[in-house]
Amino acid sequence: MEIGKRISSFISRKSTIKAWYGFIVVFFILVIILPTLFVLSYAITGWDEAGGEIFAEPSEPEFTLVPIGEGNTSATFSCPDIIDITLPTSIKVDVQTDRIALVGYSIVDVGDNHIHYYHADIDVNGTQTYWLNISANSTYNEIRHVGEATQIFYIMTYDTLPSGGHQELPLELRAGSVSPWTMIKSSIVNAFAIATVVTVIDFIAGLPMAWIMVRKNFRGKQYLDTLIDMPLAIPTAALGFSTALFWAVTPGVDAWGSLSLVSSPMLLIILLHIVFSYPYMVRSLAAILHEIDVNYEVAAQTLGAPPLTVARTITLPLFRAGLVTGIILCFARSLSETGGTIMALAMLTPGLADMAYPMQTGPTLIGAWKHAGGFEPQLAFTSMLLVVISLVLLVIVKIVVMRFKMPLRKVFPGPERLFSKGIFPKLKDGMAFAFMFIVLIIPSFFIISFAFTGDPVPVDWGPFWSSMGFSFLVAGVITVLNILFGVPLAILIVRGKNKALSNILDVLVNVPLIVPTSALGVSLGMFWGSVNIELAVFLVIMAHLAFTFPLIVRNVAGSLEELDPTYEETARTLGAKPMFVFKKVMYPSIKFSILAGAIMAFTRSLGETGATLAVVKNANTVPVYIVDLVKAGTYYPAALACIMLIIITFIAMMAMRYITRKAEK
Amino acid sequence: MPEIRIEKLRKAFGGLVAVDSLDLQVRDGEYLTILGPTGAGKTTLLRLIAGLEEQTSGSIFIDGKCVNSLPPEDRKVTFLSQTYSLFPHMDAWQNTIFGPTARGWDPEKVEIIGREMLEMVHLYERKDALPNELSGGMQQRNALARALCADAKILLLDEPLRALDARLRLDLRYELKKLVKDMGMTAIHVTHDQEEALTISDRIIMLRSGKVIQSGPPQEIFNKPESPFIHHFIGEANFIEGTITGKGERGARLTGQSGRTYDVAPTELKVGTKAVAGIKTEFTIVGKEPRDGVNDFPGTVQRKLFLGRFTDYDLILDNGHNVHARLPSSVAHKFDEGDRVNVHMDPERLLVFPVPGKGLAKELEMM
Repeated sequence: MEIGKRISSFISRKSTIKAWYGFIVVFFILVIILPTLFVLSYAITGWDEAGGEIFAEPSEPEFTLVPIGEGNTSATFSCPDIIDITLPTSIKVDVQTDRIALVGYSIVDVGDNHIHYYHADIDVNGTQTYWLNISANSTYNEIRHVGEATQIFYIMTYDTLPSGGHQELPLELRAGSVSPWTMIKSSIVNAFAIATVVTVIDFIAGLPMAWIMVRKNFRGKQYLDTLIDMPLAIPTAALGFSTALFWAVTPGVDAWGSLSLVSSPMLLIILLHIVFSYPYMVRSLAAILHEIDVNYEVAAQTLGAPPLTVARTITLPLFRAGLVTGIILCFARSLSETGGTIMALAMLTPGLADMAYPMQTGPTLIGAWKHAGGFEPQLAFTSMLLVVISLVLLVIVKIVVMRFKMPLRKVFPGPERLFSKGIFPKLKDGMAFAFMFIVLIIPSFFIISFAFTGDPVPVDWGPFWSSMGFSFLVAGVITVLNILFGVPLAILIVRGKNKALSNILDVLVNVPLIVPTSALGVSLGMFWGSVNIELAVFLVIMAHLAFTFPLIVRNVAGSLEELDPTYEETARTLGAKPMFVFKKVMYPSIKFSILAGAIMAFTRSLGETGATLAVVKNANTVPVYIVDLVKAGTYYPAALACIMLIIITFIAMMAMRYITRKAEK
Repeated sequence: MPEIRIEKLRKAFGGLVAVDSLDLQVRDGEYLTILGPTGAGKTTLLRLIAGLEEQTSGSIFIDGKCVNSLPPEDRKVTFLSQTYSLFPHMDAWQNTIFGPTARGWDPEKVEIIGREMLEMVHLYERKDALPNELSGGMQQRNALARALCADAKILLLDEPLRALDARLRLDLRYELKKLVKDMGMTAIHVTHDQEEALTISDRIIMLRSGKVIQSGPPQEIFNKPESPFIHHFIGEANFIEGTITGKGERGARLTGQSGRTYDVAPTELKVGTKAVAGIKTEFTIVGKEPRDGVNDFPGTVQRKLFLGRFTDYDLILDNGHNVHARLPSSVAHKFDEGDRVNVHMDPERLLVFPVPGKGLAKELEMM
């Protein structure tokens, strides 16, 4: 008792509390923010290296003169942009040969040593110029040369053998290797294009749904509520599997009911990203719609405006704050997503090395480079760009949406009255529901069809459980650390006496939420690498801690803001020390939000792929394990592992809903 | 004995001075009200006494002991905000014994004290009720029992009645004072409601811009305001600007800018100085006929506003002066908009002040 009292009076001392808060702030800055943004330092420290490596012009195509038989044959190639040729294309070849030779081409993927193209074209004798006409192959739409050693473009000459066959005598042409900058540029452009399209579609499809959820009452509404959140409960790697299987032409794997419609990687990724970002948009819009007083709409309607005019001119302009949140959340999530995107790409083009995917997004490129190893400057540079662009974009979105004058003033009485009546509102609602079921719900759970109708193969569960163990270890540790450090930080942000510090911390807390997780992973790897810490478990934990930290801080800060500070102050004046006040007055009011934040952090950690892939080369968490299985073409075990993971996160999600419901009561 | 003494207390938030070198003494058992407009620094002063804010300079003494460096939990004052800050998740019993439990007292002793206090406020049989299950009056009693239980003899009340509806507020006002007195506590009550302050206080402190501008019992504050601002803040007043043109035994004479003269209350200002005279709207009498020729002014009713028990009038005097009047509704029915009337101002009630430094309009601003 005596010791307990001493401890409690020690931790209630003003100096102790100050020191503890100081420690939390230092921890937050040093362990979360600094490592997250550490990659920006690369602009100063690594610029020379980066400039050399990244902006280097692709090396000129080379060829080697190879003696054929007794005579000599040589060729000069003038290629169009070999880096990114769209088929069909032609390559000009000047050949000198002192006897008959055959000129053809093949494209060899060094990754799997597989000849994808082979075509013998022309018999050559003497000095002549020829065009090699390269046509499209059934599995390729595009030839892309990614990385230095992935694909080698061979032009071959052939000796005609006496037997009538050909002997390959290659004249090797190393395709002009593409400059990393070209790859980075296109991957980032892809990532932002996808995120933009996804956000726009989310908004268009999400707005009617948010409206239905807030302004309409019907039986089964609470189920709709749960249904919309469902995709959030599924780790994106599993979601990628399920969505690709439903929509895409996936060679080598099929399931009952699969549409097999989509073969464009861009379109497939967009469809996938809509699935997990749509709930964020609907939630954000619904939240703000909920706050908008319905009386404005009633007033406008009694003044003679048809519902469509009311929605457009009265409600939408009041919407901006929700719109900003929705856009930022959708955009950041799409920009950051890695696991599902890799799954979709891998299933579209099975057997292809991850650097040779027909298209890359920023995060998948980071994943591929990290996996291959030896691309540090490229990784750092790409991550840096992603961090900078996403932070700048955050600011721009905030400014643009708040300033942008929506052309909402003009009223079109005729058409708007027409579209407000009869079949049109029903059509709008029907389409919103159809969109939700076809684009969200069915693709999310399509994996179950595969589990029943796919070809079963014996599954070795050993690696699954070991990766599951690792994932749980990481998720468990970060959840505990989140609570230990996140709760005091939230208290400091909301209750801190120093408002300037609070505001700065409040802004900084959002940073790991906006930065794409793969860029965050690269940055953290660099940071801890710079102090020579390379222990995989530690790095994965640190990365997961960084991107889950805002979740718990946001949650707790939100509920603290609702709590009247005078309760705590009254408790102090009644003789309670700060620790006692926290335990008896503050904690009972925020415990549900702590728990909700903890479960959110736990499930996010369990489902994360990008940060894990980017921070260390071989970290075997469940999503990474599933991605590897799919890359190797072992779909059945991957599907079962996905389903297991879905079940686990689902239970956690349901627990969270139960808890938050209880808290609301 | 709980007695509060404040010396040269100052609190600045950045460049904003909330409490400005303030001196104050609160006697044992006194029910003191701090009255002032929004932003006068009332709440800040209360929070400084409770130890919830740290003063920029100056000292606070409780029972003769300097408490500057004491944290709130060691000052033995209880701070209560709107609806008394009863913890919503604790029942009446847990709320009551919060203080002793927080201090780690012997559980048996806590049990006895808690019971004694709850019985004293007649709440023992409701000890399992949560605050939202108690009526407004019961909550008030619970909060006071809790404060007593925590060994606090000083109550700091920050607009405690504000969140209640009008009728209940009136009832609880009297009960609050009675309880505080019965329990022998000292209370500092912050409000911006002048009626509440007048009815409940032993003494009122008028606060403006962080400074005490007048201190005294309610009658004195009401009848002898020391500045046009206080005159206007307690009730509402009409003002006339002019020059003192004569002084007699029973009063003085003020000549307004229009040239019209007014008989006003005695003043120490010299003849020839510029001055402001003000009279509360209740004492601005409206009648059909002139009274006695002293301060009788003909005018016209411009607007009439029925308030229930009272009726407010906007009048324009023939000399161009705009005047407000408040009449009991029982006599008000005699006058309608457009009617010619006589306005009488009792010279005793027409108080004279020197012209405020920044002008009358600035002085009357509610800041």
